[in-house]
Amino acid sequence: MIRDLKRVRNIGISAHIDSGKTTLTERVLFYTDRIHKINEVRGKDGTGAVMDSMDLERERGITIASAATYCEWKKHNINIIDTPGHVDFTVEVERSLRVLDGVVLILCSVSGVQSQSITVDQQMKRYEVPCIAFVNKCDRSGANPAKVARQLKDKLGHNSVLMQLPIGLEDRHEGVIDLVAMKAYYFEGEHGERVAVKDIPENMRNQAQEARDEMIDAASLFSEELTDAILEESNISDDMIKKAIRTGVLARHITPVFLGSAYKNKAVQPLLDAVIDYLPTPLDINNEAIDLDNNEECVVLESSFDKPTVALAFKLEDGQYGQLTYLRVYQGCIAKGDTLINSRDGKKVKAGRLIRMHASQMEEVEEIPAGHIGAMFGIDCASGDTFVSPSINYSMLAMHVMEPVISLSIVPKDNKAQINMSKALNRFTKEDPTFKTYVDHETGDTIIQGMGELHLEVYVERMKREYQAEVTTGKPRVAYRETITQKALFNYTHKKQTGGAGQFGRVAGFVEPCEEEFEFVNKITGGRIPTQYIPACEKGFQSCMAKGPKLEFPVTGIRVTIDDGAYHAVDSSEMAFQAAARGAFLEAYGKARPVIKEPIMKVVIETPNEFQGSCMGLINQRRGIIQGSQEEGVMSVIESQVPLSEMFGFSTILRSATQGKAQFTMEFSSYKQVPQSIAEDIIRQKQEEKKA
Amino acid sequence: MLKKDLNLRSPIEKIIGIDNISSSNFGAVLSRAGVGKTRFLVQIALTQLLRAEKIVHVSLEDSMGKINLRYNEGYTNLVDSIGYVDPQKALRLWEDLNLNKVGISYNEASFDTTKIKDYLKSFKKAQLPMPAIMIIDGLNFDEDVTEVLEELKSLNQEFAISIWFAMLSHRDEALGRDGYPVQLETRQKLFDKAVFLQPVNNKIQAIVLKDGDNTNQKFLLEPATMMLVEENI
Repeated sequence: MIRDLKRVRNIGISAHIDSGKTTLTERVLFYTDRIHKINEVRGKDGTGAVMDSMDLERERGITIASAATYCEWKKHNINIIDTPGHVDFTVEVERSLRVLDGVVLILCSVSGVQSQSITVDQQMKRYEVPCIAFVNKCDRSGANPAKVARQLKDKLGHNSVLMQLPIGLEDRHEGVIDLVAMKAYYFEGEHGERVAVKDIPENMRNQAQEARDEMIDAASLFSEELTDAILEESNISDDMIKKAIRTGVLARHITPVFLGSAYKNKAVQPLLDAVIDYLPTPLDINNEAIDLDNNEECVVLESSFDKPTVALAFKLEDGQYGQLTYLRVYQGCIAKGDTLINSRDGKKVKAGRLIRMHASQMEEVEEIPAGHIGAMFGIDCASGDTFVSPSINYSMLAMHVMEPVISLSIVPKDNKAQINMSKALNRFTKEDPTFKTYVDHETGDTIIQGMGELHLEVYVERMKREYQAEVTTGKPRVAYRETITQKALFNYTHKKQTGGAGQFGRVAGFVEPCEEEFEFVNKITGGRIPTQYIPACEKGFQSCMAKGPKLEFPVTGIRVTIDDGAYHAVDSSEMAFQAAARGAFLEAYGKARPVIKEPIMKVVIETPNEFQGSCMGLINQRRGIIQGSQEEGVMSVIESQVPLSEMFGFSTILRSATQGKAQFTMEFSSYKQVPQSIAEDIIRQKQEEKKA
Repeated sequence: MLKKDLNLRSPIEKIIGIDNISSSNFGAVLSRAGVGKTRFLVQIALTQLLRAEKIVHVSLEDSMGKINLRYNEGYTNLVDSIGYVDPQKALRLWEDLNLNKVGISYNEASFDTTKIKDYLKSFKKAQLPMPAIMIIDGLNFDEDVTEVLEELKSLNQEFAISIWFAMLSHRDEALGRDGYPVQLETRQKLFDKAVFLQPVNNKIQAIVLKDGDNTNQKFLLEPATMMLVEENI
């Protein structure tokens, strides 16, 4: 692996589903000599794209798990993470962004900035990842890259600037004009592998000059040298422009926009040049860890090979040789045989086989130096773990992980399936922090939880294919919550005298709604409850939050204040006060007008204009609230908020209502109170379940 | 309480009367470009939102974001006109009101009432309360819009939804024989309510052109906020 980090790029390719991420990555690998044949997504040639390494991905034409790969372009090492496009899998996108230095944001030249692009953009902002944009599919009917560049400005607030102009659009898309070099690029050969550099066509010269002036004007904000050159009307070199744009990109103040069509093999090579010219090297990025031995203070990591090692495990995969752990090394170097500590549990591990990945093929390496992405075999860990040298105790900052909103019961078909299912679940929960599983003690069912129907569906499918675990699934269940809506007092005495030492504790105070999950306020004065029993009171109250008294859903948004109480010198104990707190909670809860809350999803539908009315109707029929609708060319975007419980099977319904032409994305928005009539249904259902 | 105060402050209460709005069939707000037709229509819609009614705002000019912005501004102006209001309370009320507002942005060329009809039908199908009014902003009344108006009239009757239009008039055009701007004159039978806005001495004068006994009443409005300055002038 290259040790000169100026020649290393760790990049992600992010976009909305079907924007052509996988196709683009496939072309990149072809042009960089990593593969010798281009395979199309959805397996038109029966093979499937190299980056979609899971069978399921190939079948559905979506990329589920990020496949990491590396390639070389003009003596630079480029590590690429291909990220999933569906919102249900955004944890994958988030994890990728955590370990990347830059992103190529792919946009469709017809659909423009879509809902997933907005989600990805928010994630990029959270992790401050610099990006460049590639407007793909310029060969499609209705392609309008200038509109997409404007949308980047209007919808995402990017300072977008066109770096190229298309030579022809739709079926006449031939190539691009590079506004820095002021040359026209055409792509010849069977797979566009030969770049022919020619003069700009006569009829586009003025247009190109205008666009170049605009681009230089935008770039000049980031370079005094360039500004001076403009003012003095002296010669503006290509390097001057590139340097200025690069400065803007690194500061996330400008987004250069490139164009092309990956499918038609147009303008992928200039995009690779742009990755090298404008996206950051590991040296340009400030990475931080927290020092667990020093009050969790932030420590800036240096991309130096001599410093103690710090690496983050960002993805796990189960292969034929055991668990494969994808790592990004931030500091130091991992070499074969090195001893590392997993800072989460303090366990020592020994680095065994080190490899770098090319989708499903692997290449053995001797070391993974700082700034690089690689993978390690034979280490038992969870995704998000930090590995460090024994001399330090750092942890990379925690990743933002959402709570699951949907659950599904699964029952293995036979004994063999049962064993395989537990293996699979063990692996999946380690791989994906938004995927959780537990056993319902009352029904004995195994419950899986995730971020959406498709999310769970994919895991059930993977269980079957990868682990031969046939399972039957129950009806998806929504993760309801309980909360209170008004203040209520409690004054509860727990008194028990059944032979032996007695139990006595009295707690008094009130519960009230609050924004936090749970808050405990101690206003006891005068030692009415001795200090040593206060934590027991808190524990008692908190233990009631897991299962609400109303319907046994988890309780949220409660502040408990205790302001009075009593104890007995002999009979009071921690246990007695815990029991008193539990009794007090039950006493107050019923009086505090408890209600049920349900997860509300932000649903964005993109549909051809003619189906706009009926799509809005579908939302209306699902207790949804339409926030607005916007026509964008031939498509309409409908933004709405819909309860998750109403969204089951929505993809099928939407398909049949729109002749399969509409698509939608869905992500968690907030918890809202369930209307009374629906609450009654839930209560009835719950009672029936209990009886059964 | 806040709702009641806001309704009392609403310029629409005085100029048209809140009950009067939803009992109308077709209403129009006329003015030259840039005087404040849309801001006035937003105030009309806000009076309905404050009565917990649903409203649909269709614009052939503004994007969805711009429509939302106009409503935020309209609500803020109304709240500010009261004096001090607990910001948290005002925000909570706005979050509630916002749930009943749907902004739809169409390209003028592809505007088609069947999409609106499909949407309104779904309320009936799901047995949901119908929107009380629909605002249509950006329809070009200088062109022949007879067909669109007829279709909208049938929606008005089928779904009992009152429809309010923004109607652009022109400074250099003479009034019609009945004293209405020409855009309204030729279609006056369709409209049972109409308000004309014109700038007068740094203020906006609202003249009720059509509304039974209230016809010809005049009011003065603050141009930036559309709040009432003087009534029955």
